Amino acid sequence: MNAAIEFKLDHLQSMLLFAVLISIAFGFLSRRRPIERVKYIVWSLFLFLLIGVGIGWAMYPFSR
Amino acid sequence: MAEETETQAVAVASPRDSKREAIAFLIGVAGWLVPGLGHAFLKMWGRAVMSFLTVGLLVILGAGMRGNVFTSSANDAFDTLGYLADLGTGTFYLVATKLETSGADVSHAGGDYGTRFLATAGVLNLLTALHAYEAARGRKA
Repeated sequence: MNAAIEFKLDHLQSMLLFAVLISIAFGFLSRRRPIERVKYIVWSLFLFLLIGVGIGWAMYPFSR
Repeated sequence: MAEETETQAVAVASPRDSKREAIAFLIGVAGWLVPGLGHAFLKMWGRAVMSFLTVGLLVILGAGMRGNVFTSSANDAFDTLGYLADLGTGTFYLVATKLETSGADVSHAGGDYGTRFLATAGVLNLLTALHAYEAARGRKA
């Protein structure tokens, strides 16, 4: 029996989705004004991706 | 002497304060049970909708990616922590168990990500419930 819904995402898609959702949640929780929320979301998303990709590259020499 | 009396007067909570504390606690519990409900009670509609949608999406994606929905029959400390994190989603925990009818598959990266999505949904919901509780106490908005 298969799951009711099944998603097949690769690493990058999963990381992107995760970063987008968490950045939105953090932006809404920590800021009140819409413009501040947008700034926070964009900055948080940028840092999520930068650090995620950075850690990925840093682990590359040990991957094999 | 006068200072001591003043300190005692401040330390004793008034009935109004204890009522407010009880209401804040109930709002926190409501926010945990149904993501966003705590903020909805406080008429913080943006945060309420955001909580419901992000926690809901993370649970649907996590279960759809066949992440591990931990149960109470934990084998080790990590399973127990995973179960506590998953329980953080409140009633959405039941949604995750209903969605994932074929069980977890963490042999692929997708399943492993799914496990993280589900745990994050729980922790995020606990954070939003705590935020609603603090807002109801008048400490944060």
